[in-house]
Amino acid sequence: MNRLVMAIFGLVLVLPWPGRATAAQRVQVTGEIVDTWCAITGIMYGFGTAHHQCAVWCAVGGIPVSIMDDAGNYYMVLKIEGDDRSVADPRIVEIQTHRVTVDGTLIERDGVKYLIVDQVADDRGIVNMTHDEYGIQPFGE
Amino acid sequence: MRLRVLLWLPLLLLLTGGNAFAAQKWGIPHEKPVILRGQVVDLLCVAAGDCAPDCGAGRRQLGLLTAEGTLYPAVKSNVFFAGATLDLLPYCGREVTVDGLVIENPAMTLLFVQSLRGSGEAEWKPARAFIEDWETRNGPAREWWREDPKVKAVIARDGVFGIPGLEPAD
Repeated sequence: MNRLVMAIFGLVLVLPWPGRATAAQRVQVTGEIVDTWCAITGIMYGFGTAHHQCAVWCAVGGIPVSIMDDAGNYYMVLKIEGDDRSVADPRIVEIQTHRVTVDGTLIERDGVKYLIVDQVADDRGIVNMTHDEYGIQPFGE
Repeated sequence: MRLRVLLWLPLLLLLTGGNAFAAQKWGIPHEKPVILRGQVVDLLCVAAGDCAPDCGAGRRQLGLLTAEGTLYPAVKSNVFFAGATLDLLPYCGREVTVDGLVIENPAMTLLFVQSLRGSGEAEWKPARAFIEDWETRNGPAREWWREDPKVKAVIARDGVFGIPGLEPAD
């Protein structure tokens, strides 16, 4: 009996934490590549042309990028087209602020939508023109 | 006498640099000062089972996995416009204590690492590994983000708005 109890206790310890992560699901996401920190915290206006320079700074600085879709959902990108580099990835720097459509795998865990991008299906470049209203974010230069 | 010591304590800590850090609030909506203990993990490995040696050796985003099983992505360090990967990387797979802010935005939860110390370490280290590494490679800079060669090349080519030929109005 004691062995059975110990076995169950051991099993509970090694099993994945229930409810922590949703099952991975295939998704297609369309939205803007954004700097995760500025966009989520709102410490400055963090979208479109007005924020492009800062988005490049943050990508080179190693802050993760996300895709913000039209419904306001954010997807943190951990891998893109087989390349596991997500810190200061030169390719990510090149597509900052672009509006893209990607196919990938979504894993949700602890309040974060993590996205593994299998394919960038469409890249429309920078289309969110915000500089007339917001100038250059931050510092104005 | 005891009261006088207490009154001088903050100044003493300031002058000595202090061994104890306390998270600085930034006035960010949903921010919460925290001291979090957890294991340094590779986010791609924990989220998707796609693992690499040494947590990706600086190529991958890292996070903190607490004993309760909560995973926090560490997205920001104490350096302007820079992430926390280089601060956490030396502790890959080991336990650290992080002093910083958790941003519990309904859209995404983020961890801002302001200082940290490894298990058994007495001293808190400010999360400034990015700038230390950057200055080793590039020399001292007042604003690394304007002097970085990669940034300068991209901005020189595409402009501050990311569209060649689109210039700020005078």
